[in-house]
Amino acid sequence: MTTTAARPAVAPRQTPGDAAAPHQSSRPRVRISGYLALLLVVLLVALPMYWIVLSSLKERPDIYTVPVGWIPDPLTFDNYTSVGGGVAFTDYLRNSVIITTALTLIQVTLGVLSAFALAFLRFPGRTVVLLVILAALMVPNQITVISNYALVAQLGWRNSFAGLIIPLAGVAFGTFLMRNHFLSLPTEIIEAAEMDGAGPLKMLWKVVLPMSWPALIAFTLITIVNEWNQYLWPLLMADDASVAPLPVGLTQLQNNEGLTNWGPVMAGTVVTMLPILVIFLLLQRHMIKGLTAGAIKG
Amino acid sequence: MNDVDRRTFLRLAGLGLGAVGLSACAGTGSSGPSGASGKKVETLTFWSNHPGSSKPVEMQLIEAFQATSPGFTVQLVDAGATYEELAQKFNAALTGGELPDLIVASDVTWFNFALTKAITPMDDLWDAAKLDTDAYVDSLREDYKFEGKHYALPYARSTPLFYYNKAKWSAAGLPARGPETWTEFAEWAPKLAATGGGAPPMTVPDGRNYLDWYFHGMIWAFGGNYSKEWEPTFTSEKSVAAGQFLQDQFRQKHIAISNDANNQFGAGQAASLLQSTGSLRGLTKTAQFEIGTAFLPGPRPACPTGGAGLAIPDRISDERKEAALKFIAFATNTDNTVTFTQATGYVPVRKDALDDPDTQAFLTQNPNSRTALEQLKETAPQDYARVFVPGGAARIGAGLDQITAGGEDVKTVFQGLSDETLKVYKRDIEPNL
Amino acid sequence: MSAEPITAAPLAVPPVPPAAPTARSGHRLRDVLVATAFLLPNLALLAVFTYRPLLDNIRLSFHSWNIASPTATFIGWENYVEWFTSSDSRTVLWNTVVFTGVAVIGSMALGLALALLLDQKLFGRNAVRSMVFAPFVLAGAAVGVAFQFVFDPTFGLVQDLLGRVGVESPAFYQDRGWALFMVTVTYIWKNLGYTFVIYLAALQARRAELDEAAEMDGASAWTRFRMVTWPQLRPATFFLLITVLLNSFQVFDVIHTMTRGGPLGNGTTTMVYQIYEETFVNQRAGYGATVATIMFLVLLVVTLAQVFVMERGRKQ
Repeated sequence: MTTTAARPAVAPRQTPGDAAAPHQSSRPRVRISGYLALLLVVLLVALPMYWIVLSSLKERPDIYTVPVGWIPDPLTFDNYTSVGGGVAFTDYLRNSVIITTALTLIQVTLGVLSAFALAFLRFPGRTVVLLVILAALMVPNQITVISNYALVAQLGWRNSFAGLIIPLAGVAFGTFLMRNHFLSLPTEIIEAAEMDGAGPLKMLWKVVLPMSWPALIAFTLITIVNEWNQYLWPLLMADDASVAPLPVGLTQLQNNEGLTNWGPVMAGTVVTMLPILVIFLLLQRHMIKGLTAGAIKG
Repeated sequence: MNDVDRRTFLRLAGLGLGAVGLSACAGTGSSGPSGASGKKVETLTFWSNHPGSSKPVEMQLIEAFQATSPGFTVQLVDAGATYEELAQKFNAALTGGELPDLIVASDVTWFNFALTKAITPMDDLWDAAKLDTDAYVDSLREDYKFEGKHYALPYARSTPLFYYNKAKWSAAGLPARGPETWTEFAEWAPKLAATGGGAPPMTVPDGRNYLDWYFHGMIWAFGGNYSKEWEPTFTSEKSVAAGQFLQDQFRQKHIAISNDANNQFGAGQAASLLQSTGSLRGLTKTAQFEIGTAFLPGPRPACPTGGAGLAIPDRISDERKEAALKFIAFATNTDNTVTFTQATGYVPVRKDALDDPDTQAFLTQNPNSRTALEQLKETAPQDYARVFVPGGAARIGAGLDQITAGGEDVKTVFQGLSDETLKVYKRDIEPNL
Repeated sequence: MSAEPITAAPLAVPPVPPAAPTARSGHRLRDVLVATAFLLPNLALLAVFTYRPLLDNIRLSFHSWNIASPTATFIGWENYVEWFTSSDSRTVLWNTVVFTGVAVIGSMALGLALALLLDQKLFGRNAVRSMVFAPFVLAGAAVGVAFQFVFDPTFGLVQDLLGRVGVESPAFYQDRGWALFMVTVTYIWKNLGYTFVIYLAALQARRAELDEAAEMDGASAWTRFRMVTWPQLRPATFFLLITVLLNSFQVFDVIHTMTRGGPLGNGTTTMVYQIYEETFVNQRAGYGATVATIMFLVLLVVTLAQVFVMERGRKQ
């Protein structure tokens, strides 16, 4: 449905000379179908989101009703109290922040360095190295956990931040992403920098990175999302609130046998999602802005 | 056949990448060996998934235990959201991590740990601690018996229970009780369907939500079994008759198979429900109508046990085992059984907890809980094909899905279950017995 | 590795390593040293925590191993023979292909459509952009839980909407086809934000003057899209094909929370789910390792084929 609805979007006529807004539609018919499509998108994407938030604000018997209740009545924040009320909630949150921050810093650094080497440096076996890194994306974590557990336990890193962070710190996806981006940079600028005799670090800092903010932000954002939502590995590694992150800490909201009380589970979902959504809102402006700027420059 | 020690094996795999020094020590394991270590035990680690949202009451038990045993601390670990996740974490620990001192193990997960000697037989520990195990409900204690030894003590135990919507019952002009037999249910169902306003007379969870457990009672009621010890009996005349009955009732829309039977019933969208006793509290809170409970339809006894027990890993020192048992004994003593039961809705695991005045007062106020307790005397341990044969529950659940939602022939499906069960037994169990 | 190794914005990207930048042969030794320093930490981590387990796994695949047991028994190719001759595997493979295929095509087509729409100057587009991205931020398990509600035939959003036009809800949890449809749609919904962001970034990096020139020539909207915009999106499309395919192939959480691989036993069991189930539910870690090894090889072949095809396409 979205596909057809979005079709008119391809048709916009551009106002010549309006370089800053090159894609502005001017025909009213097109604009109206554009808005209709927009509305449809909002409905399709937002309804399930609304559903989650709605359930988190309902009292227990109101979550399951026939017909469906579209407005929480009465509205209650009890589910959120039961999430936040657990003694260790702030501990879990702190751990999540520590783990995600550390992993993001490490992965972005390693990813950028690896990508730089693969994109700009000449060394034997470059393609093989790239394929080796790419192939790491084909190994499902269901098979790595057991073997890694044994190793990490042996190192004495269980229930520690080291054990939670280091095994996840290798970066394959981001390397692939950044390498592709680096290769898209205008070769003239890179060559000019080389003529000036810039060393690799200087070139990375002064030339390549300043042209790569949007890609870097996208990489960062996706890393944050992935690491924030890690579940299986932290579940196996962490034993208590001293290191366990939010997704593990919130499992206690679930009931095993019989009836799960979905209200608090949904509230937990919302609480876990919020920080990342805020980060996205902050970063997406820069990402889009950076991307647009990059397009003009390029 | 080459038997390779798995740790050696993992280490060799690590050496395959010799350039990486770290990996050479992969999986060499640090779990302490059995036997006396001579060390004094001060901390116990308890891995729980908090069945029945029991974390607060578990904390309470731990505090009480620490108060009676100064110098002891018990560390409660959130080891997963489900029994399966907890088992996964324990499996990981078995590859060479530090082992916990006690774990929650469900009716389905404990057996493989016993078979592979990952958890310890408790009988000697019981004797040494002079634990009166006759005080536990017999069927619940005997659930954990394998080759003459017991591998766990009952903890968060439940059984299936028949729930009904009293309003729908009286609208259909039925007496305020559950059907005594499945034949009686079949007679009542058309009346419930006629007056139910579209709600099916009964809903049960589907094959991915333990239909195989709820059907366990039904197959027994018809005189059938999943298996007799290790021998599959799906294809016996009586077992097939039970499957046929389920299929007929499904086709006549007397029994609905649901992905969320609990909430369907709780919202008044089904007249009755087969569900765990552990759901009683939640359903009572959710439902806007009066709930009645009854024994599973018979002829009785037709009710399997279920839920979880507490087990002790085998590869920890004797001192730790003793200390762990001490905690288990404390957590399941009369007072604490009463506390735990009332906080969670699980059935009491001790006989004397039933007579406790506190319990009696509670039961007077909660007659539905009384049904669950009285039915306890009628329960029997589950058939091996479901709980001992690896993947048994999921396998039978899938088969029951096939004869209901899938509309497949009962005899053919049950024959398939029988063949598959036998194959798995021969491959995965028999060589290890 | 990350539960969902995934995702991001490839901007305008030549897909495959072009010839090495020019005029640098003089720096070769220095390049080798620097590259080693830059790559080594990352490669070491991947070697220890991804490739070492992979090798373990390949060895295990030739063994019979009860996951809780301290010993494994060597059985040669038995596990492989079992997988390739089992009728269950055919169903699993079919589920995997359908799920992955529909998820890749669906989320890329929708992501592109959305990116084209939100590339327009429309009022409120920033808010809508964030909204489209939001599901991607959610954990897979949370999405699965929420969509259990959405598709519930008794209480769900879908049955409510269908009921308003007098249609009865399909048996999402009992019919193989509908169940597979349900988990696929759910995953597409979650993943849409990813393909959308990548396509949007690529659209914004494209050269507007080409589009304008075409418009001056009086080309229709469709022709302009086909002849001008689409070719410029090729690198992004290539990047997405590889990454979305790798991700979709390994979706676990959504399936685990919604259907646990059911109904009817294996209605939504994909290869990754089979790995989990054999290893941790049936305790057959050796057999699970076999499935994992086969899956790794399939992905390797498919990805190499993609790289090869795209490389040829680029050269032409």
